[in-house]
Amino acid sequence: MRTRLRQFGDRTFTTVSGLSVLLLTGALVVILGPLFWRGAGAVVFHGTVEFRRMQYDMHGRGNKKTLDTESDQANQVRKDAYALLDRFAAGIDTTALQKEARRIYRQFKTQLRNKVENGTITAEQATSLKSIGKRLRNRLLEAYETTDSAQARGNLDAVLKHADDKRLVGSVAERFFELAGDYQQIISTVDLTRREEYIEDLNEVQEIIKELLGPRPGKPLPELSQFQYGATRWNRAQLLLDRLVWNEEWVEQGSGKSLKKVRTERAEQFAGTELTGLFPMMQQNLDPMLRPQRTFYWQYFIDDSTPGHFFGGVGPEIIGTLLLTLLSMVFAVPLGVTAAGYLVECTGDSRFVRAIRTCINTLAGVPSIVFGLFGLAFFVLYLQPKLGLPRGYSILAGAMTLAVLVLPVLIRASEEAIKAVPRSYKEASLALGAGKFRTFITVTLPAAAPGILTGIILSISRAAGETAPILFTAAVALGPIPETLTQPTRTLSYGSYDLAVGDRIAALVPHQQFGMVMTLIAIVLVLNLAAIMIRRRLEAKLRGQ
Amino acid sequence: MELEQTPVVDVTEMKQLHEFHSALPEQADRTEIPSGGPVIVSDGFCLYYGPKAGVRDITMDIYPRAVTAIIGPSGCGKSTFLRSINRMNDLIPHTRATGRLAVNGQDVYDKRVNLVNLRQQVGMVFQRPNPFPKSIYDNIAYGPRLQGIRKRSRLDEIVEKCLHDAALWEEAKDELKKSALALSGGQQQRLCIARALATGPKVLLMDEPCSALDPVATGRIEELIRKLKTDYTIVIVTHNMQQAARVSDQTAFFCLGDLIEYGMTRDVFTNPQNKQTEDYITGRFG
Repeated sequence: MRTRLRQFGDRTFTTVSGLSVLLLTGALVVILGPLFWRGAGAVVFHGTVEFRRMQYDMHGRGNKKTLDTESDQANQVRKDAYALLDRFAAGIDTTALQKEARRIYRQFKTQLRNKVENGTITAEQATSLKSIGKRLRNRLLEAYETTDSAQARGNLDAVLKHADDKRLVGSVAERFFELAGDYQQIISTVDLTRREEYIEDLNEVQEIIKELLGPRPGKPLPELSQFQYGATRWNRAQLLLDRLVWNEEWVEQGSGKSLKKVRTERAEQFAGTELTGLFPMMQQNLDPMLRPQRTFYWQYFIDDSTPGHFFGGVGPEIIGTLLLTLLSMVFAVPLGVTAAGYLVECTGDSRFVRAIRTCINTLAGVPSIVFGLFGLAFFVLYLQPKLGLPRGYSILAGAMTLAVLVLPVLIRASEEAIKAVPRSYKEASLALGAGKFRTFITVTLPAAAPGILTGIILSISRAAGETAPILFTAAVALGPIPETLTQPTRTLSYGSYDLAVGDRIAALVPHQQFGMVMTLIAIVLVLNLAAIMIRRRLEAKLRGQ
Repeated sequence: MELEQTPVVDVTEMKQLHEFHSALPEQADRTEIPSGGPVIVSDGFCLYYGPKAGVRDITMDIYPRAVTAIIGPSGCGKSTFLRSINRMNDLIPHTRATGRLAVNGQDVYDKRVNLVNLRQQVGMVFQRPNPFPKSIYDNIAYGPRLQGIRKRSRLDEIVEKCLHDAALWEEAKDELKKSALALSGGQQQRLCIARALATGPKVLLMDEPCSALDPVATGRIEELIRKLKTDYTIVIVTHNMQQAARVSDQTAFFCLGDLIEYGMTRDVFTNPQNKQTEDYITGRFG
């Protein structure tokens, strides 16, 4: 019975511990897997012709010739959609037409004045012509403004009646007849009474089309780079297409009830008009319009990005993160190891040492934002001016703040490692006549190196990922790649934070945020792997292999 | 004395005694104190751990070019006394020494004593082989390097000589760059002896050097000790009385921090003057 009970206990222990390991592995896969998958989307994706154009414009990558033919082909397909949109827009939004009519009238007046001065026509003739022009303009404006088709048609007819007027031939006023003719065609397809509702919906459609296809060819480029190109990624393009085809609205379900999201086909809003044709056209032709291709954008890891991270990569962020992390280690490791050595070798177990140890342990639990504020107050505002450096965010201050942050962890790990060095090593060295310091440097430290490296690994992971300590000391969201250590830098951790809270750009370019986080984890893993490999080497050497 | 009065003699006791006697001819036949003055002079030496005495009132002279064995039950202060000679007890906090303990006429516990010089004059070999996790070469060169010898050719010379002296040269000459930890236990202990020899000591302290080794390795170390005593003064602490009988010229018996008996090994083992000594070497206690 006893034996059986013991066997049962053993088996239960094995099972439970095995399960917990499995659980941990599972959690790791569940957490990191999707992150890497989404993050990989920043590097491997379907890039559209807009992406290739952007790459050529910004970095000169790709072939100009093939890019041009591709753009031409895409524009050829896009032209139909633009034409359709413009025809419909002309009937709905007549402010442009009204402006045009007024401009024509002003030109007409100038023309008349010149003719009188030349003596081609008399002042009286000019006056009558001017009044005709004025009448035509007013009729046209009325036609543009009215929502009653019959009235509009009557006004247009009234304008067109003057088309035969010999006096107007060859003058600017002939443009009135062109406008009237165009508008006559337009109102035959558009229900003018619904013009008001159309205007808003049309604006939305036009915005989406602009986001999807970029600025129209021939039009001046917008100042902001984010508006200079259409959808550069195929998955983003498809999202936009979905937004174009489906209209989402929050509809009240009755008083006191919560709002409900209702999806309706946008074509329904434009039912009966020419614009309904736009939606199937976009759906069918999105591929030739954007020409997606499988893209491996490895330059993501070296490219700078446009302001706001709309396009480009995380090169400066990677450099900044590496600089901060490694520099903080340069500060923290000598200090931490020396402190640990002092605590173990040079002091007994006095009350003083116990107090110091308690302080260190407490420091390890202090929230990182506190270190950030300390760094701001001490390094940035106090120490830097004292040293003659400019008072402001700098890599140096950030690295020192991170060093202070990881010091407790490092000291604890080093202390344990130094304590674990067999006494016999120390005795052997001392018996050979070596001093304490000599023994520490030549015997204790090499033997403790693997343990100390474990502490360094933990510290690197912590330092690379921390945002709060560098928030007030080193990190900026925008800015050039730093040239000296006294300048601020962009970092991966702060970058992904800023994407989420700054202008909420993360919603528009989620791949950027995922890409940053993935890169951050990858960097930490690579640094850790390097440290682990060094530790293996040292351990093998210590074991005598 | 009491043995004679006992009517029945224990057979195992007889055997043990016989073993000691048969072991004796193997050792160098020394029946008197070696010529020359003593190297280590202990005169009323006491060492306290806090309030507790580790060794009390030790008065003995240790002579050059001889092996002096210190035997005694566990906790009797053998190691404490041994470690006092090169002041390794300093590592333990709150130790205090009184009396006089001198090596080559220099008081070891004098405030002005140069610990580096002292420890290089008095080499030590520990219970467990404790080579540094470095190469064989670096292990031996550690001491000379401390003395400031940097010249490669000089170091090579020292390493070769010490390995020869420690009877390890033949086994290790092709593997000087290999880690010392790759050696076997016996080889490691001989390496530790070679390392101790490299600083050019006069005295070699051995703290149970064979207790972690198998009989074959032990035999080789004992052989080595016998060879080394022609040049060095050796003090060895051992639990193994046969070993003491085999390798030592003189034997000191410690018990509970006191020196009970000290004399020529042959005399101590065949004709102990003290009841405690006799009980101990015949296996009645300890």
